[in-house]
Amino acid sequence: MSWRWFHQWGSPRWFYERAGRWQLICGWLALILLVVGSLWGLGFAPVDYQQGNSYRIIYLHVPVAFLAQAMYAAMAVCAVVLFVWKMKLADVAMQAIAVTGLAFTVLSLVSGAVWGKPTWGTYWVWDARLTSMLILGFLYLGLIGLRAAIQDPDQAGKACGILVLVGVVNLPIIKYSVEWWNTLHQPASLKLTEKPTMPASMWMPLLVNILGYYIAAAYLVLGSMRAIVIGRERRASWVKELVGRA
Amino acid sequence: MSIERRMLARELKLAAARPGDIFKPMWFLMLVISMVPLALSPDSVLLADIGSAMIWVATLLALLLNTEHLFQSDFSDGVLEQWLFLDRPLAWLVGLKLIVHWLFHVVPLICITPIAGLMLSVPTDVLIALLMTLVVATPALTCFSGLGAALTLGSSRSGILGVLVMMPLFVPVVILAAGVLIRAMDGSEILPLMALLGAFSLVAATLVPIAVSAAIRLNIGGSN
Amino acid sequence: MLEFQFESFMAFLAMAPHGAYVWPVYVLGLLILGGLTWVNLRHHRQAIRLVKRQLEREETHES
Repeated sequence: MSWRWFHQWGSPRWFYERAGRWQLICGWLALILLVVGSLWGLGFAPVDYQQGNSYRIIYLHVPVAFLAQAMYAAMAVCAVVLFVWKMKLADVAMQAIAVTGLAFTVLSLVSGAVWGKPTWGTYWVWDARLTSMLILGFLYLGLIGLRAAIQDPDQAGKACGILVLVGVVNLPIIKYSVEWWNTLHQPASLKLTEKPTMPASMWMPLLVNILGYYIAAAYLVLGSMRAIVIGRERRASWVKELVGRA
Repeated sequence: MSIERRMLARELKLAAARPGDIFKPMWFLMLVISMVPLALSPDSVLLADIGSAMIWVATLLALLLNTEHLFQSDFSDGVLEQWLFLDRPLAWLVGLKLIVHWLFHVVPLICITPIAGLMLSVPTDVLIALLMTLVVATPALTCFSGLGAALTLGSSRSGILGVLVMMPLFVPVVILAAGVLIRAMDGSEILPLMALLGAFSLVAATLVPIAVSAAIRLNIGGSN
Repeated sequence: MLEFQFESFMAFLAMAPHGAYVWPVYVLGLLILGGLTWVNLRHHRQAIRLVKRQLEREETHES
């Protein structure tokens, strides 16, 4: 049964017919979780004795930063599926995730920078996490640029697949070397996250937000994938039927 | 003549026919280095402080810009397609091409960095460390920029996309080399870090040509 | 455990002393998520429009 399920993913049509529903569910779920989580974190989580109210940015920054990295890893998984099982949907997913991932990376950088201002006095510091996030942004940009430069979608997908795989292997090396670089120049490493011993009243809304942003990312990626599928399969009869009916 | 010797002979001929390709990156390096004191200050103490790092960045840029169109002429000549049918793994041929490119185009670049070092008042022991890091790291960097060149091979107006796509992957190498330079400036032991840099460079130089050959295969044959 | 941390709604909006930092970030987040949603929707509609135009062209060809 599981192999049949897996092979259904080979059909863009099967995906498109179901993704609309999935997208709707994800959209509403994400909306509820994010509204609840954000209001909880903004209004009901206790004030931090060191950072006052500015720490409330973490309820956006931490989930978004985590997702920016997770999405890159997800693209790497898509690349593997693309190369091993030659599943076109995996490439569609890769394309959809790249743009969403870049947006999340930018959001993570801006939220981190704005948080930095009241905490450290400047908008930008070359600390390990911000620097790694910046490089991740460049990696996303490279993927988007590469895809735009190659006309044939299958070729573009494979080229991006190669780039993603090389990137994902390098990513931990980059992160590790940036952390090391940081300790070279700043003996006291500045940490952007709260101390690990966060009271439950603080990390519970964080969990809600992490889940919320995760599902929001899924919602956005599904939406993008559906649009891409229509574009790529526009000569297929099922698409013409679908549009003709509408 | 064996395949390798034929290839080497061809590259030698090409390099001799276009000496500009060797000279222009060196010229670029000197220009960029000249910009630094103009943009900063002629203070030799300040220059010495940042000099080695600036030479590294400038060499990196010169290498990238030079390697960007590495496969272009072979691609249009049809030589790359021939490689697919030769009795050697494509990754091996690619690796060979990259080594030869490094030898003919990057090594001359490294050779004039001492002049740049002189101009930026870089102390001699730091300069030696600089040269060592460049020699050790540039093979890996050449392989990475070869990947950028291979990925953008098919696309016509990609401009410097190959460079942009690869630069983030240079970060570990740059950081490691910088670490060596800092130690050299302090006067402490640089060998352990150099060994690490060497190991990373070796691994990259061995594995990246595989990715490069996959990208070439992709762009020659379209989707297979 | 769940108590409102501010004396009034105005205090909530002000979030002294960091209101000017916290709220713009959340607004930006809203804009980005909303923006992406809108872009996806537009992209989807464009793709469908393209197919529709193609269908019409084929029909006029046949007739």
